Amino acid sequence: MNRKKKELLAFPYIIWMAGFTIIPLLMIFYYGLTDRSGSFTLENIMAIASPEHAKALALSLVLAAVSTLICLILAYPLALILRSRHIGQGSFIVFVFILPMWMNFLLRTMAWQTLLEKNGVINSILSFFHLPQLSIINTPAAIILGMVYNFLPFMVLPVYNVLAKIDDSIINAARDLGADGVQTLVRILLPLSVPGIISGITMVFVPALTTFVISNLLGGSKILLIGNVIEQEFTKGSNWNLGAGLSIVLMVFILISMTLIAKYDKNGEGTAF
Amino acid sequence: MSQPLIDLIHISKSYDGDLILDDLNLSVKENSFVTLLGPSGCGKTTTLRIIGGFETPDTGNVIFNGEDITTLPPNKRQLNTVFQKYALFPHMNIAENIAFGLKIKGKSKSYIDDKIRYALKLVNLQGFENRSVDSLSGGQQQRIAIARAIVNEPKLLLLDEPLGALDLKLRQDMQYELIRLKNELGITFIYVTHDQEEALTMSDTIVVMNQGYIQQMGTPEQIYNEPENAFVADFIGESNIVEGTMIQDELVEIFGARFACVDKGFGTNTPVDVVIRPEDIDLVKPENGTLEGVVTHLIFKGVHYEMEVTTPNGYEWLVHSTDMFPVGQHVGIHVDPFDIQIMNKPASEDEEAVGVNE
Amino acid sequence: MKPLQKKLKKFFENFYLVLVLVFLYAPIAVMMVLSFNSSKSRSHWGDFTLRWYGQMFESTAIMDALYNTLLIALLSALIATVLGTAAAIGISSMKKLPKSICMGINNIPMLNSDIVTGISLMLMFIAFGISLGFKTILLAHISFNVPYVILSVMPKLKQTSRYTYEAAMDLGAGPAEAFFRVVFPDILPGVLSGFLMAFTMSLDDFIITHFTRGAGINTLSTLIYSEVRRGIQPTMYALSTVIFVTVLALLLITNFSPSRPAAAQAKKAGPGPAFQKGLLVFVSFAVVAGISYTSFLKFSSSHSNELYVYNWGEYIDEDVIRQFEEETGIHVVYDLFETNEEMYPVIEAGAIQYDVVCPSDYMIQRMAENGLLAEISWDNVPNVSNIDPTYMEWSEAFDPGNLYSVPYCWGTVGILCNAERLEELGVPIPTKWADLWDPRLSGEILMQDSVRDAFMVALKSLGYSLNSVDPAELNEAKDLLLAQKPLVQAYVVDQVRDKMLNGEAAVGVIYSGELLYLQEEAEALNLDYHLQYVLPEEGTNLWIDSWVIPWNARNKENAEAWINFLCRPDIAKKNFEYITYATPNKAAFELLDPEYQNNRDVFPDTNGLDNSEVYRYLGAEADDLYNTLWKEVKSR
Repeated sequence: MNRKKKELLAFPYIIWMAGFTIIPLLMIFYYGLTDRSGSFTLENIMAIASPEHAKALALSLVLAAVSTLICLILAYPLALILRSRHIGQGSFIVFVFILPMWMNFLLRTMAWQTLLEKNGVINSILSFFHLPQLSIINTPAAIILGMVYNFLPFMVLPVYNVLAKIDDSIINAARDLGADGVQTLVRILLPLSVPGIISGITMVFVPALTTFVISNLLGGSKILLIGNVIEQEFTKGSNWNLGAGLSIVLMVFILISMTLIAKYDKNGEGTAF
Repeated sequence: MSQPLIDLIHISKSYDGDLILDDLNLSVKENSFVTLLGPSGCGKTTTLRIIGGFETPDTGNVIFNGEDITTLPPNKRQLNTVFQKYALFPHMNIAENIAFGLKIKGKSKSYIDDKIRYALKLVNLQGFENRSVDSLSGGQQQRIAIARAIVNEPKLLLLDEPLGALDLKLRQDMQYELIRLKNELGITFIYVTHDQEEALTMSDTIVVMNQGYIQQMGTPEQIYNEPENAFVADFIGESNIVEGTMIQDELVEIFGARFACVDKGFGTNTPVDVVIRPEDIDLVKPENGTLEGVVTHLIFKGVHYEMEVTTPNGYEWLVHSTDMFPVGQHVGIHVDPFDIQIMNKPASEDEEAVGVNE
Repeated sequence: MKPLQKKLKKFFENFYLVLVLVFLYAPIAVMMVLSFNSSKSRSHWGDFTLRWYGQMFESTAIMDALYNTLLIALLSALIATVLGTAAAIGISSMKKLPKSICMGINNIPMLNSDIVTGISLMLMFIAFGISLGFKTILLAHISFNVPYVILSVMPKLKQTSRYTYEAAMDLGAGPAEAFFRVVFPDILPGVLSGFLMAFTMSLDDFIITHFTRGAGINTLSTLIYSEVRRGIQPTMYALSTVIFVTVLALLLITNFSPSRPAAAQAKKAGPGPAFQKGLLVFVSFAVVAGISYTSFLKFSSSHSNELYVYNWGEYIDEDVIRQFEEETGIHVVYDLFETNEEMYPVIEAGAIQYDVVCPSDYMIQRMAENGLLAEISWDNVPNVSNIDPTYMEWSEAFDPGNLYSVPYCWGTVGILCNAERLEELGVPIPTKWADLWDPRLSGEILMQDSVRDAFMVALKSLGYSLNSVDPAELNEAKDLLLAQKPLVQAYVVDQVRDKMLNGEAAVGVIYSGELLYLQEEAEALNLDYHLQYVLPEEGTNLWIDSWVIPWNARNKENAEAWINFLCRPDIAKKNFEYITYATPNKAAFELLDPEYQNNRDVFPDTNGLDNSEVYRYLGAEADDLYNTLWKEVKSR
């Protein structure tokens, strides 16, 4: 067989990946591990321990975790209901819940700014009915709201896909063997949808952890997330080495959370019962 | 005589305007092996799902052990189901699968362990406790599905085409296995299949269904030997179904020839359907037969020869015989009176459609 | 289950579905409604209007961005699809080890966060001297698109049996023919879905584009980002509506209407799929041809006589650019920055060679000290004589000897007050910076989101120099800013203007240049409150934005022609009327309406500015200190 010839087809891609994935990553490591004069240092990495960076990272982790959790709590019942309605995967209803994902991410975030502002749409409506004003713009709550709104479809989609694949007879079997609705959910549906939940969590958690746009637009620049710190080192401050160093730390954190999640996944599959 | 364990009374069910079950009445006695037999779409699976609690009938009642369980959810019913696609829980090992129902009921660990061991022994899969579901063959998975159901000691076991996905040899083995299980456990089986051989082999009672109606209910012998209509005759085994005229009691005319039979009460000169099983046709010398024909086809089937005999009107009779008649030979057709089964013509077109659809 | 219980369950389920739908669509619906609101206000309904749609379609910035977005999405998706499909076939025939290495590398861009991918690409482009622009965005987009194509083609390849390929060969097809006739149709759905996924990923990307874009190029995402940071204009709502409706229509068409009948038809009749395939091939050829033609135009239309301008947002009358191009025949590539700090590394890195830049005072000093500026040949800029000598004198503070810079705009920084709101709160109109620490102003203060301006406010209120480098003073200022943070509603840059107009806050720190625009806009909107500008007693920052020429400018003479042109009285007047920032151009000032000349907010009495200072560059060390302290304020 012309296996060798076929392998050659991957050649341009390998060159491309080397040029546009590997080398750029090495650049980050180069910048991150040197100072302005170009000599080796670990200072940029250690900078994460300084109170302002550590705080930004901790806050990012907390906000990302909270919004991931909220997304999961919102998305799971939704996926369950869609599943129980036996709506086909390509159907209009499922499509409706995914559609906002296709709208420009910045416009979606902008919409919430319009809604949440002090004299924004929500408060205008509230004051029309003489109700107390909602003042969550420029607070972590607004950022969480923005994250949940933007990333919810990323949770709905994988969870729904996994749930839709579970055969009805599996659920019927559980019911037949005496499990009520809750027991079926806890013992059958949840463990079987773990892979979808995991990929939903990663698809929400990673962008939420690293965002700087949502915190900028809905946080009034009062709240500094690790993404903001890095972005500002590159665009406003001029310490690229520090920015690269913090990026390395961020990469490590993403890797750690991924392995943690993957590990949990394995345990989840083994000891679900 | 045993009591009726389950009674279906005036059950109707339709989906999106399609009537699946129409005023169905069925009574199943305790400790029997009842098979619902019919082509796909005949309503047999829906009947089973109504008994299992996965569907609620539009009208009618389900009485189980004297209690109306029509709207009771499946988890509250004292019966269990073996599903067509096994429906084993893929995230649990074999022992966990079998233990599922018992754990839900809160049984003690030692009780559960005993039950698992007992059930695995019963289905001849000792030592499979820690295997994963995907490491099992189809037949093994089916046995686990049965084991998982029977550890709960149901009064009634529902089996929804459980052997459908297995190959022929395995299917035959499993048939005997199921009979043995039924006898050892002494519980009632309601079995759904479209395979008439399976139904004949295993059941005490066969319920032949089509288009939401029960066509005939009886022992395998009754169903096979005395089909009540053309559909049943055609669906169960191979048969020659021809149009005839009942001249008078115990005399039927087929293709112009008169046959003696044992049926009475059809009146005189009534059009009827006549069923003659291929193995009931005796091929004799042309002059000794009631009808005359020519052998047009011959296949050796091992136990017997399968032949087609074409009579002058063009009808091809299917004949099974241990005697061989070469193609082209003129033969006579003879049938013993008790081998001729007379059936009324379908009363409506609807009923007629029944036979065609199969 | 009991029928009642079932009904109840169904009701709750439907209720939940509706709730989620409201959550998902309410914001979009609100934007759609607002896009037809003739009033700019978000809380009052004016009349129904299509004005914002008109403005949107007329805006060259938005239309250019739209064009770029689509072009980049199409090109990157096409290239990524070809590259990725070939790679998938190659990888699938590899042995286990190289295969898993390839798939591992393939996963990097997907696992990595966008921000790291974007930064890494930017660092590489700059390190290899590839100037940031259209092509770097394209390269970046291809890079993050390829993995998606591979991931959607690989499973299809696994499904295809190699026997079909062998059967085709057995029946006499050559390897290529066997592939295109037998294997390719099998994996086509995967290839198509890979292409679509790549296309949409590219359309939606902001973060990677943000880091890899360069001079004069915006995609919709980057344009929206800078627009939103400046204050949401109703044209953005119109844009949202148009995008949403387009996406909805496209998805409906591709997902629902034709595919089902077509599929059904394909099953029945033979010619169906053949026709479809033919159409597909035709369409893809048409698209490729169209794109290559337009991109050929795009790349080949580079003018020999160019000028790369790097300026603040909304800091020039666009007519002036057109007039300049007409009069000189020089093609202007115009790009924007938002802060000095954002501009500096771009010039320092030299990846984009701007010819003329308009930074502020202290940044000019920093650039000059670091050798980033070229001396201006004054012979080429005779119109500099129109500039009031006072400002040339002021400029000496950061540009000793007036070697590098020509003043463009100047002004003060002060406090903009919403008088009625303050009265409601029972707070008198502030007179000094220290009044911004009044606890009654909680949540009512808009501060500037830039290091120097924020520290200026604190330092001045403490009575220190705004050029202080004394760590003790700076720490004191930092503590003061921290103490103020709970009172601050938001740290913003250009948004102060819109937020104050919308009545979002009682006081905001603002550049005096915004005032004329504010006063006119306030009048036009007929607000029920009035906005008043206060120059704080402690003194403030006197700022000057000047044109400079970077050391690596490729078209220095064009840059000087540009500066000279802007110093012409009529042009300076025109610019002033657009920008409304005080002009240092004496000749232009004399041409202005007396009404403008006497506006003390815009042209403050220079005698009253005794305590005020111009920013100086404080050195890298002090810069780092400022940045660190500022981060402490922001992160607390």
